[in-house]
Amino acid sequence: MSIKKGKFFPYGIHPEGRKELTSELPIEIMPLPSKVYLSMSQHIGAPAMPTVAKGDVVKKGQLIGKENGAVSANVYSSVSGTVFGVEEIINALGQKQTYVIIETDGSNEEALFESVKDFEPTTLIERIRLAGIVGLGGAGFPTAVKLSPKTQLDTLIINGAECEPYLNCDYRLMLERTEDIYKGIKHVAKALKLNNVIIGIEENKPLAIKAFEKFSDINIVVLKKQYPMGSEKHLIYCTTGRKVPVGKMPFDVGVCVQNIKTMIACYEAIELNKPLTETVMTVSGNGVTEPKNLKVALGTPLTDVLNYCGGLKDNAVKLVAGGPMMGKALIGLNHYVRKTDSGVLALINGETDTDAPTNCINCAKCARNCPMRLMPMYIESFALADDYTNAEKYGAMNCLECGSCAFNCPAKRPLVQSISMAKAKIREMKKNGK
Amino acid sequence: MANNLLVFSASPHVKAKRTTKHIMIDVCIALLPACIMGVIYFGLNAFLILALSLLSAVISEFIYLLICGKKFKAIIKEFDFTSCVTGLLVGMSIGTNYPLYAPVFGSAFAIIVVKMLFGGTGKNLVNPAVTGRIFIFMSFQTVVGAWLLPSISAIGEPAVNTSATLLESLLKGEISNLSNLNLLLGTGVAGCIGETCKLALIIGGIYLAIRGVINIGYPIIYIAVTGLFTVALNGFEFTYFLPSILSGGLILGAIFMATDYTTTPNTTVGNIIYFVALGLVTAGLRQATGMETVSFAILLMNLFVPLIDKFVINRPFGFIKTKKTKGGV
Repeated sequence: MSIKKGKFFPYGIHPEGRKELTSELPIEIMPLPSKVYLSMSQHIGAPAMPTVAKGDVVKKGQLIGKENGAVSANVYSSVSGTVFGVEEIINALGQKQTYVIIETDGSNEEALFESVKDFEPTTLIERIRLAGIVGLGGAGFPTAVKLSPKTQLDTLIINGAECEPYLNCDYRLMLERTEDIYKGIKHVAKALKLNNVIIGIEENKPLAIKAFEKFSDINIVVLKKQYPMGSEKHLIYCTTGRKVPVGKMPFDVGVCVQNIKTMIACYEAIELNKPLTETVMTVSGNGVTEPKNLKVALGTPLTDVLNYCGGLKDNAVKLVAGGPMMGKALIGLNHYVRKTDSGVLALINGETDTDAPTNCINCAKCARNCPMRLMPMYIESFALADDYTNAEKYGAMNCLECGSCAFNCPAKRPLVQSISMAKAKIREMKKNGK
Repeated sequence: MANNLLVFSASPHVKAKRTTKHIMIDVCIALLPACIMGVIYFGLNAFLILALSLLSAVISEFIYLLICGKKFKAIIKEFDFTSCVTGLLVGMSIGTNYPLYAPVFGSAFAIIVVKMLFGGTGKNLVNPAVTGRIFIFMSFQTVVGAWLLPSISAIGEPAVNTSATLLESLLKGEISNLSNLNLLLGTGVAGCIGETCKLALIIGGIYLAIRGVINIGYPIIYIAVTGLFTVALNGFEFTYFLPSILSGGLILGAIFMATDYTTTPNTTVGNIIYFVALGLVTAGLRQATGMETVSFAILLMNLFVPLIDKFVINRPFGFIKTKKTKGGV
């Protein structure tokens, strides 16, 4: 074991943490809802194919959506019950997705994988793929794909930064399920055939750092409290000093980054033979009556989650799926918990920002804060002028959409919105061009 | 749950509280010490000039927006205090012997022609205050003649009756008998309302740096380069250093005019190029013309900013790696 201080990158921002709302609350297990809505597309890549039809009886942990292609993930039923329907629903994120709706029967019968005694690296990866595990930090990239790089890696980095304000689910898991995380890490390290494991934890979580001190084969790196420390490229730089080249992936520098929650999911899939059917999320914000850390069955409707937390206050003005910096605002309540959800926030006026944008005053704060060293003001103005060739030239595709630029913008310009629009248009252009 | 009016917007959902308005109010606060010292030194007339130029700037912005068809309430709501900064700076950069209509015309010109016609806050090509100052200088200098001395005379030295500003005599090779302390405090120094007391300006600059509005390094680069280049042009006579930076409008220009967000480059490297060039141009022009050229230098360099911004851009995180041959792995 070794504890060392992480490197510092001179960009990024320091938003108010606001973690105290839920940081001391143990994870509660939320009772099962009467119906769950399981999206077939809770990951990056091709949507899963539904394998059940209306009227089928399913157990908890039974496959209901089969992966479709190399980059895809299985979806399992999170409750036991009857399939109520397979429907296309436009959810509160504005996405039209196929949902398998299951009515709970309360028996909680569980289907498990066959238990295997000795796992080989390949069987480990196969089990992780089978269990439908994706990067649970928010991106949702299928973990099995990430664990099968073309070259041999030398370092596994566990992301315990949790730099998003409000969110505490990783922090609570690090305190409450340290052993399980450790076991998950060991399995993943075995799958990657490497020994060097680093866990990066932000300095504002001393208890979590202490919890991991007892493991002799994990190196702890204490990270500065800085946003976006949890970004893959910056985490790699701060823990190992390696810079991921522009346009390259972490495996190009011999590193694999995994999330805390993903480690627990791997542990459960490998040792407890359970597929991924639940997630831990923080329900927070001043618009929620009782902020909580919850263990929720996947597909639970947002209304049930909010009701369990005492409902919304009358002054709540904005609902956000995810953290406040990178999460998506919801247009309604028809959101259903996904694998990648690490939080739901209900924000009130004053807490969230509703100012109208004004003229850019060219203060260059966005460029100074950008962790990717881009120049958001140029990309924005090119995007607004429909000049996507120049937007790409100024590095739009490198944008993490972390929101550091818009956070500090005194003119309150929606920089992230313009840049992500530019990214979408550039992708479209490339697709049409080739 | 009785909430069916959800706000929908792109991330991030939390933002820093500071807006353009807050920044501009901070700049106004930073200008106050110098304004107060100006009124103390030059009396009621100084106050009148400052008030008139401030009012003229604000009112011309309002009139312009009203003509453009904006509702009065909306103008009040969107008022961001940039015109207050411009108005104060224009007033501060002229002397009390100017006729009272000079600041009125100067501010109106700065706001309407330099700022609003280009699209308002953030769209101007050159600094409005600097241009307003030059406008007044060009239009009314013949009416005025010499600079006036402040009411407080130099500490520990006999009053000087010079018609030329100290800087002008300095450039003609007459080393003044005024001590650097007097130059810093502005006692016994002829000059403009807001430029005379350098100490007040420096206090304002420190306030802005503490509040994070400006990077104090850039004005320091500008001032230091100007001083050193003046020294170099005068045969490395280091007695020129402090008088050259403590006289004229250099400190006001460096802290409040050259650092204007809109008319400075967007990168650190670009800013360093800009401020070094500014220092060289200022000192060079001063030497060549024998008069105060800070505002002309800023105006000139403002026009180079788009060019600097075109060629100096940040490299993305991880960019250097692709060129290097040694691998990090």
